[in-house]
Amino acid sequence: MSLAEEQRWQALQADVDALAAAPAGMDTVLAGLPQWDSLAVLLVLTHAEQAYGRTLTGAQVRACRTARDLVALLS
Amino acid sequence: MQTILPAVRLAGLAVTTGPLVRDFLADGLAAGQDAGALERTARTVGLRRRLVAAPGQTALDLCADAATRLLAACPEPAAQVDAVIFVTQTPDHAQPNNACLLHGRLGLARTVAAYDVSLGCSGWVYALQQAALLCAHGGARAVLLCAGDTLSRTTNPRDRATDPLFGDAGSATLVVRDPAAGAWHFVLGTDGARARVIEVPGGGARSPRGAEPWVEHADADGNVRHPGDLHMDGAEVFNFSLREVPAAIAEVMALARWSEPDVDALVLHQANRFVLSAVGRKGGFPAAKTPMDLVERFGNQSSASIPCALVEALGPELGRRPLRVVACGFGVGLSWGAVALTLGPVTLVPTAPLPPAP
Repeated sequence: MSLAEEQRWQALQADVDALAAAPAGMDTVLAGLPQWDSLAVLLVLTHAEQAYGRTLTGAQVRACRTARDLVALLS
Repeated sequence: MQTILPAVRLAGLAVTTGPLVRDFLADGLAAGQDAGALERTARTVGLRRRLVAAPGQTALDLCADAATRLLAACPEPAAQVDAVIFVTQTPDHAQPNNACLLHGRLGLARTVAAYDVSLGCSGWVYALQQAALLCAHGGARAVLLCAGDTLSRTTNPRDRATDPLFGDAGSATLVVRDPAAGAWHFVLGTDGARARVIEVPGGGARSPRGAEPWVEHADADGNVRHPGDLHMDGAEVFNFSLREVPAAIAEVMALARWSEPDVDALVLHQANRFVLSAVGRKGGFPAAKTPMDLVERFGNQSSASIPCALVEALGPELGRRPLRVVACGFGVGLSWGAVALTLGPVTLVPTAPLPPAP
């Protein structure tokens, strides 16, 4: 795991409560998280906008299977 | 579209809410939802309390009450009303429109024009532009603008993403021709390619009620609705708001030649705290100039939310001095409208609920 990737992951966890307690870190399957819902998707969109100035779509976020996919989407 | 309209003044505002209090946490617990999940949503989105219409009450009833109270408080312009504009997505009937029904209820003269504007959360700004246009260039001495909805009735109770958002309200705004008043500046826009991001697909001429059975279905999050229910794609609405609203605000301020220190208040459609915070951050406006707490007292009131915010958030200040205000509505269409105008003196009628029929 690169430093940049780890930093992105930690920042994402700080802003998206559903990811805060991801049991397998970045290998956590998102669909298995109890709070992975439409609100969590909105929080990811907000994080992308605020932290990176990037506009993601809900479909892009929904297409991510694991937390690592989310971090890659932000990269 | 940009418009500059001279010599118009906002003479008065009134808002009538539904009388029934709905509490987000209590409702969710009563429906068997998890307390922790409810608190998380309440905290993040800003869902607390909303006021909804009583059984049998419609947007027409709420607006008629607001209009009656406003006209009584402003007798001089009330006698000069030459047009009625009614903004709603929840009219009493497919035909006739609400404006004509309101015209009849108020007993207005047969020389008074009346028409509806079919818009939601952007509708008050659109209709304000129409009212100002009628006063500035259309021969009207005064225009009564009514904007309101009962969107709480359009959602499926099992759609947890949409159902808790809406309060019901009707507003009345009186716009008058006034040679001594300054100009109002408007920016209006539409993204019809994304029109179905907010929709009630069934019930119109394309998909009439009764043509096919309306079958409920659940989305990926387990939210249930049928074609007659209001559906919003939350992520796309969020992106739309961040994309268009700060840009419209910047454009209308440039049109008015105002910069941020010139503006006393930025009044946004009170969608929810989550959207308002994000839009406010991106727009670079100080939080102190941007009322955000109305939605937690009233719910998302659709086209009535900006007039309600003007009365509730700016009322005391407006009583003391004129204010430079930028307002922006955004929603179904997708549609947005921003206005830069100086308010005051304005007759503000206290916000009140419409009592249920005995």
